[in-house]
Amino acid sequence: MKIVVTVKLVPDTNAAKRIDPATKRLVRTGLETVLNPFDEYAIEAALQLKEKLGGDTTVTVFTMAPETGKETIRKALAMGADDAVMLSDAGLEGSDVWATSYAMAQALKKTGFDLLIAGGLADDGNTGGVPGALAEYLGVPALTNVRKIEEAGDGKIRAQRETDSGYQVVSGPLPSLITVTMAVGEPRYASLKGIMGAKKKTIVTLMLADLGLDRAVGTDGAKTEVLEISAPKPREKARVVEAADGASGAQAIFDFLREKKLI
Amino acid sequence: MQNVIVFVEHKSGQTRKVTFELATEARKLADTLGGKAYAVVLGTGASTLAGQLTKYPLDTIYTAEDADVDKYFLDPIVDYVEAVAKTAGPSLVLVPNTMLGRDVAGRVAARLQAGLTSDVTGFTTEGGKVVSVAPKLQGSTITGCAFKNTEYGVATVRPNAFEAQAGGGGAQVSALDKPAGKSYALVIENEVEEASGEMGLEEAPVVISGGRGLGGPDPFTTLLKPLADALGGAVGASRAAADAGWVPYSLQIGQTGKIVSPQLYIAAGISGAIQHKVGMQTAGTIVAINRDATVPIGEFADLLVVGDLFQIVPELTKMVEGAKAHA
Ligand SMILES: Cc1cc2nc3c(=O)[nH]c(=O)nc-3n(C[C@H](O)[C@H](O)[C@H](O)COP(=O)(O)OP(=O)(O)OC[C@H]3O[C@@H](n4cnc5c(N)ncnc54)[C@H](O)[C@@H]3O)c2cc1C
Ligand SMILES: Nc1ncnc2c1ncn2[C@@H]1O[C@H](COP(=O)(O)O)[C@@H](O)[C@H]1O
Repeated sequence: MKIVVTVKLVPDTNAAKRIDPATKRLVRTGLETVLNPFDEYAIEAALQLKEKLGGDTTVTVFTMAPETGKETIRKALAMGADDAVMLSDAGLEGSDVWATSYAMAQALKKTGFDLLIAGGLADDGNTGGVPGALAEYLGVPALTNVRKIEEAGDGKIRAQRETDSGYQVVSGPLPSLITVTMAVGEPRYASLKGIMGAKKKTIVTLMLADLGLDRAVGTDGAKTEVLEISAPKPREKARVVEAADGASGAQAIFDFLREKKLI
Repeated sequence: MQNVIVFVEHKSGQTRKVTFELATEARKLADTLGGKAYAVVLGTGASTLAGQLTKYPLDTIYTAEDADVDKYFLDPIVDYVEAVAKTAGPSLVLVPNTMLGRDVAGRVAARLQAGLTSDVTGFTTEGGKVVSVAPKLQGSTITGCAFKNTEYGVATVRPNAFEAQAGGGGAQVSALDKPAGKSYALVIENEVEEASGEMGLEEAPVVISGGRGLGGPDPFTTLLKPLADALGGAVGASRAAADAGWVPYSLQIGQTGKIVSPQLYIAAGISGAIQHKVGMQTAGTIVAINRDATVPIGEFADLLVVGDLFQIVPELTKMVEGAKAHA
């Protein structure tokens, strides 16, 4: 079975980020990129499945990112993925959910897959829109928020998908796309052997010319455009009360809630 | 785009408060754009819920009491919403920014070749153009995002960001035809309730959250739940608590969990790392209880009480209950 994991390369959560006032795009240069936190869980789910199925199951990571992201993608290979595909082209800069999903879908048609695994949400753009849109453009079902893959293979998948109040057991055909939640299990660390081995693994680079798209992507094709950016009203530092005991601590909160007319 | 369509999330006819917030905002936007305001209610319980929705200022409420919506995952919903949007013509589709809402948004946006904006907390209109206002980049930046190259827009809207106001009802309720020629691939074999069917952490007016400082699963039910009940709120958690298995991930608030904007947020035993802050920093009032006076949450909470949460929380619960009894 061929498993492909879509991985976004994002700036570290703690990094100070800014938007270029001219292009209204996130300034990605000079920011250390990491594998999108959710996508590490997607890789983990793929590797677990590979271990379970054995045989000729492979895990490919796929990203659409500038070529400078190669080093970050090696981290996914070091975790245990077999190879990687990168879609890199200056013409993709400024892509929004629509352009990203459309371009990725055409590339993934070339790559091929039985099971496509995505994270639920990217840490920078944060729309959560890509997986669903991707499934639409690929014409495959989208089984979202999977916390446990019960079975996958022979053209079938059954999984538990998380809901707000529990879970559903959902089954469907392969090829399909799934998104996973953190309940699939803590992403593994790369071993030294993994890190060494990653250097020899293949990273295939695709460019827009390889895809033959019939619609514009990047800034020109995007269906959203950031017009304004502003800073939020900053929150002040807290009023601090040292509570001698439970009753005085509770009283301090109670009085504060009264003052704020919250009780 | 001129019309506004609200996707109504519900479970057997029980909906979230955000539905009414969206219905109210849809009317305002439609009036400014010179279009109509619609809602789409699908699946078991749709008709009953549509009746309730007529109290809100919508033009038409489309319903489909179709068992397939509950039997197959998402595909029937996407087909119906697409059909409504195509019939309505250029429209903005509003969905709640919830687990299900985000799923609906990405797929409907692709179907309609629409732009997508997310976690929206405000809308403005400029010359017939809709601009979605949303906090981005861990809340450090507010962006105003417009749609272009498309007749349709889809926006996931943060619960508690808009006010719900009944009135100006009189909407037509109209039953939808089943979209023809569709087949559904994902079968919901069975559904298991684990949490007490709590649907709306995102929209609870009060959230009481616990973190590593709670030390185990029990204090969530014995300590935090009673305070949440007394204040009319819901219980949430930090990632540390969810990772430890003390609560399900569905209660997790933050970067990889839920984003909440309650009037009051009480964080017990939570340090307030950036990943947690992202999920709750737009709360009206933030109160933190922590042993340690130097925790990061002190930088953005309104009140930080330094003390033992195991002593403070039960006392506070008693005080709130007492105040309610005398009210
Ligand atoms: C501050 C800011 C605000 C933005 N606001 C918007 C907006 O309102 N609307 C909009 O359309 N775009 C917006 N964007 C652009 C957004 O970054 C791109 O559209 C992005 O490529 C896709 O959206 P996302 O990051 O939300 O991905 P999500 O949909 O949140 O990502 C979910 C999953 O999809 C996969 N995935 C997503 N992108 C890639 C990729 N490049 N390569 C491989 N896998 C991927 C991953 O598995 C990921 O876990 C914004 C960007 C920034 C920096
Ligand atoms: N040169 C590039 N090649 C491929 N993808 C890119 C490139 N630049 C940006 N992207 C992707 O396009 C989307 C929008 O990025 P940006 O315009 O930098 O905010 C993100 O998914 C980026 O990873």
